[in-house]
Amino acid sequence: MIMAKRIALAQLTSCWGCDQSLVDLHLTLLEVLPQLEIVYWPAVVDYKLKDLEAMPDESIHIGLVEGSCRTKEDVHLLKLMRKKAKILVAWGSCSCYGGVQGLGNQWELKELLERKFLKADTVEDGRIPEEEMPGFTESVVPNTEIVKFDVPFPGCPPTSENTLEALSALLTGKPYDLPEKTVCDQCPKERKEKSITKFKRAHEGHIDPDKCLLDQGYLCLGFATIGMCGAQCPTVNTPCKGCFGPPPGIKDHGAKIISALGAIADMDPEELEKAFPDPIGSFYFTDYGASYLSKIRDKEREEK
Amino acid sequence: MTDEKTIKIHPVTRLEGHGELTVKMTKDGKVKDVQFNVSSTRFFEKFLEGRFAEEAPRVAPRICGICPVPHHLASVKAVEDAWKVTPPPAAIKLRRLAINAKQYSSHALHFFALAAPDFVVGPFADPAKRNVATIIKELPDVGKLALQVMKFGQDLVTAVGGKAIHPVTATPGGMLNPFSEEKRDIFLERVKEAKDWTLQTVDLAKKVVTDYWDPITKLAIAPTYYVGLHDKGNLEIYEGKLRVMNPEGEIVEDFTPRSYKKYMGEYVSDHSYATHIYYKPVGYPEGIWRANSLARCNVVDKMATPLADEALQEMRDKLGRVIHATFAYHWARIIELVQAIEEIEMLLEDPEIVSTDVKLSDVEPRKGQGVGCVEAPRGTLIHNYWTDDDGLITKVNMLVATNHNIAGIEKSLMVAAKQVFEEKAHEGLKLPDPMIE
Repeated sequence: MIMAKRIALAQLTSCWGCDQSLVDLHLTLLEVLPQLEIVYWPAVVDYKLKDLEAMPDESIHIGLVEGSCRTKEDVHLLKLMRKKAKILVAWGSCSCYGGVQGLGNQWELKELLERKFLKADTVEDGRIPEEEMPGFTESVVPNTEIVKFDVPFPGCPPTSENTLEALSALLTGKPYDLPEKTVCDQCPKERKEKSITKFKRAHEGHIDPDKCLLDQGYLCLGFATIGMCGAQCPTVNTPCKGCFGPPPGIKDHGAKIISALGAIADMDPEELEKAFPDPIGSFYFTDYGASYLSKIRDKEREEK
Repeated sequence: MTDEKTIKIHPVTRLEGHGELTVKMTKDGKVKDVQFNVSSTRFFEKFLEGRFAEEAPRVAPRICGICPVPHHLASVKAVEDAWKVTPPPAAIKLRRLAINAKQYSSHALHFFALAAPDFVVGPFADPAKRNVATIIKELPDVGKLALQVMKFGQDLVTAVGGKAIHPVTATPGGMLNPFSEEKRDIFLERVKEAKDWTLQTVDLAKKVVTDYWDPITKLAIAPTYYVGLHDKGNLEIYEGKLRVMNPEGEIVEDFTPRSYKKYMGEYVSDHSYATHIYYKPVGYPEGIWRANSLARCNVVDKMATPLADEALQEMRDKLGRVIHATFAYHWARIIELVQAIEEIEMLLEDPEIVSTDVKLSDVEPRKGQGVGCVEAPRGTLIHNYWTDDDGLITKVNMLVATNHNIAGIEKSLMVAAKQVFEEKAHEGLKLPDPMIE
């Protein structure tokens, strides 16, 4: 029998979908669990933060960090995980790119707080909670910009198969590399030469289930998105929103999409601009926090 | 301050979300204050602004990876309400299939992975052992049962929604993908087994109830109001009216979700990023209510399906109606697990479930305001969106399931903390020998 590896799973601000995806290995867990000595995983196991803090540095074989830093407590936990773990994995798109909450970077923190705690229709006599509260970060950035990670592992969430593949590699000491292919490479739909003259919105018309969604004029981002998911969304006639982020080597997902669209669409720039009144929401989904636009905003804020 | 003692549980474990618990004691050992500190939030209500409204059902599931289906559906219903769209009947049936499948897997996850360790391994067991991994290892039959039940629900969500976590197929006007006959046949076959597993789960739950009768009936009994969806008095999770029950067990409101603002308020406490939703006409804290399984079982006349209704009547025979016993939430969850599998079976047997007429093709975005309400596993969920002429979102208000329960959780924790720290009531409780030593 293999010696069990010490593993810690930490949740920063997130939806816990990555945890659910791991649990969704279901019966396969029966084979995986004996190989793991879980030393921290609040979603499932009762160890507390102080237990993690008390562990010697680098005493954890594999650390998985899910979620991104929306609070100062998240930053503490992230840095703690870096100190305690030998191999640190950026688990899911929040950890790799900031996640969907990175879209909040379009506004100042003050505006986010006001909307939720002071101005919501159902709130009366609101306030910003402070007692025993950790306080928020000014914006959401990828965890990989705060500490060094050994393994990026994107997905919103990574599929159970992805999770098994990554865990198996890490447990046996093999390298885990991200694929170079795109969602289109995994998609079963028939593709033709593209010449889009008009974009349709997701609810419009009827989708031909056999043909490429982008060819039909739906903004399907499979062409610019890393192929790990097995093209789950296009397979069920739903456009890819790019939730796994770009293939390796591409720094700015949305910028890549915009430049590619210029070539794919038979439309002048004004028409394209009109078709997408919300470029940030359309071209970034889980990775706005990793974009140049968001970084420029951060920089402007700092200079103020 | 120095003579006071603070007990901090950081983080609260075996729950989805980020919480801490703070108990403040006076120097003479009295419980002064109990706080459930929810220590994170992401501001979906702000960053949905400016988006295409039809994309909101893709964004909203990210609110919760354990219950993404209710968010997906509350979101699409809110857009449909704003745009005055009614999807075809078969699309609604597919959505009901998805939400029941999610209810099924989530309740199983909650019962087996989050709650069961306390009952199976025992509340005073070594924290290193008090978890589902131990159950899987030491009681392989129970572990396998748990994993199979959860798998069935998640697989069915995938079959309808494309992905189990963050499903994608619901869009304003219907569903983007019909349910094939081939898939239907597979699940019709599998549901027989799943029903059998469900009944085995009921047996296990009954044993837990019998074994832990003392704590169930004595610990953390916290009278509150209750809120939940119903359809003509039956327990309902996709579409219906909302009832409110007062602590005396009387139905005091019965309203359509569209008028929710008249009945629901959010109290912002200084010590939690999750707001406390309460019964507005009575005010806060008098109007503290709870949602989730027990609340639904309290407010409805009966369950919508026969086996589940038998189970509800059994609980009411033993504990009455209105039930304030916090531990009865687990029991109610199992009753709902039964309803979910019966609903799933009925929907799979309905020939219309494989209809290809599942989406309108002439949906027009418009300026409007819409409310989408469903029951998430942990309670009533409301999405309220405002859209402009192009169908872009201009404003969002959301009341999410867990926030209905935060104040109620604090209330029951206060009762429990007093019992434990002031009366040492836990020492006198009759507890069974753990199933795992």
